[in-house]
Amino acid sequence: MSNNILKFSMNRSTSVEKINATCLRSVCRLQDSFTDAEVAIEVKMPDLEIVAISGHLQHVYNDEVKNLDERLQKVIGIRVGSGMLKIIKGLMGEDKNLEQLVYMVEECCHGVILTLTKKVLLKAPDDEAGKFAFYSNMVKKNIRLYDRCAGFAKGTPLVAELEAEEGGEKA
Amino acid sequence: MMLEFMRNKLVDVARLNEDTLSIHGVLDDSIYNLELDFKVNINDLVCSAIEGRWLRWTTPQCPQALTFLKEADGFCLSEGIDNKIHKTVGRRACRHFANLFIECAYAARETVKLLHWQEAVGNEPGLSFKDFLEKDSVGGIPAADVMEPVEPVKKPEPITSPVVSEKSSGGVSSVADASFIGNDGKSDSTGFVIDLHLHTSPASPCASSSVDAMIKEAKRIGLDGICLSDHNYVWSPDVVRDLRKKHDFLVLRANEIVTEQGDMLVYGFYEDVQGIIKLAELKKRVAAVGGFVVAAHPFRGFLTFGADDVGLTTEKAMAREMFKWVDGVETLNGKVTATENGLAQNVAKGLALTATGGSDAHDISTVGTYATTFEHEINSEEGLLSALKEGKCRPVTFR
Repeated sequence: MSNNILKFSMNRSTSVEKINATCLRSVCRLQDSFTDAEVAIEVKMPDLEIVAISGHLQHVYNDEVKNLDERLQKVIGIRVGSGMLKIIKGLMGEDKNLEQLVYMVEECCHGVILTLTKKVLLKAPDDEAGKFAFYSNMVKKNIRLYDRCAGFAKGTPLVAELEAEEGGEKA
Repeated sequence: MMLEFMRNKLVDVARLNEDTLSIHGVLDDSIYNLELDFKVNINDLVCSAIEGRWLRWTTPQCPQALTFLKEADGFCLSEGIDNKIHKTVGRRACRHFANLFIECAYAARETVKLLHWQEAVGNEPGLSFKDFLEKDSVGGIPAADVMEPVEPVKKPEPITSPVVSEKSSGGVSSVADASFIGNDGKSDSTGFVIDLHLHTSPASPCASSSVDAMIKEAKRIGLDGICLSDHNYVWSPDVVRDLRKKHDFLVLRANEIVTEQGDMLVYGFYEDVQGIIKLAELKKRVAAVGGFVVAAHPFRGFLTFGADDVGLTTEKAMAREMFKWVDGVETLNGKVTATENGLAQNVAKGLALTATGGSDAHDISTVGTYATTFEHEINSEEGLLSALKEGKCRPVTFR
């Protein structure tokens, strides 16, 4: 058995560009052994509202998505933000052959979020002590980070100051 | 046009031997670079030998995530595994590893379908892939409920949110800038205090404490009442009446309904709404029965940046479509930042909408962090509705 020959491969690429002073365009492209698909959204700042969307999907074995464009247009007006996946699914539908498209809309939205995240992270100092203070302050300022991943887990160094303050207030 | 951000994900699947796939995934973006390698048993889709590598990361603690990847060893990667990956790999290790793991799981499932079709072609030459899948819609892949879990699964830990700002030393204090709601900014423990927004398990799948536990905790910390606002869930009036009697405590009903404009808390409206409803339609239905709609956490932001970081001003926020359709705004919510609550306060003030507060607790540890204090005692859902409509209430920091 030739175990070095791939059975399946997949490339998914998401890119975000600023198309004018108030609009970001996020495009997710997927090519795998069975699929060729693309979804593009335009998001208006500062509301992060989806103002335009387009896409296509070709798949080897799934049936063609009927009214694909109509399904995509349903997400116009929703805001990129927490809780968006349930809204996207709810509006576009949860048909089996739509799953990939829904996922790609979500990936486009994540691209926008990560673009804005990058801008915040660029402010982090390069030295270790500065970096530590930066992320320690970040979790204090934004409690949603607390205990949400290994980096900000309960009882770990970056949240020590936050937990000490919390303990102090309780006392 | 210059790119602001790019993320590339690459997943390869090779067949290591008769029974095993070898999966290799790479996630490389403007912020992170990480890799995953693991094995998958072809017959049951169970994964093993998970190894991760960081090439670029952000916080000094990110490398610790690798230790927790092992918790996914033994997962069956059938359809429906994504949430479990988010809740274990995402929460314990890193959400970006979880994102890549989900891609790898998808690739594993697709590969197994392909292999099963290739086997079937041996017995039935000319069988197309599509025809094969029409005969066997899952391509020979075991269903998640058959295969999962391989080992006992820990219930995901609730997101606990210690309140680090606007906190009093005990009892009730007013919000940091509450002058807009007409109070004097001093502590006020004389009102009738109800937590208007909390979730219970199992009515809300994301909650982890039972309704009895939530009520006991609310009583223990000195609240006067709570309002059950489970997601798209209508409590039976009989059950709630029994809870009131059992605990000798005020328990009222609300509902947190998902709309295309975000989550809405509705009071005095007991229709079972499932799926996503347009906010304009919800408002119409609620108004028809004399109910009250409150925009829940209207500016809930992101993990590393908030509404202020994207330049959302009060004026721009007030112009949002959402505020045309609501009667009130939740200006103190226990799951958002002080800045986001502040923006909600400014919008409520600017639009002269009733302001409310609620913990949004999903477990007992955060019940009552924020609440709403009423001028007069509330003892029924009708009384609550009247007080909200008359604006005889204000949000408070409680716990």
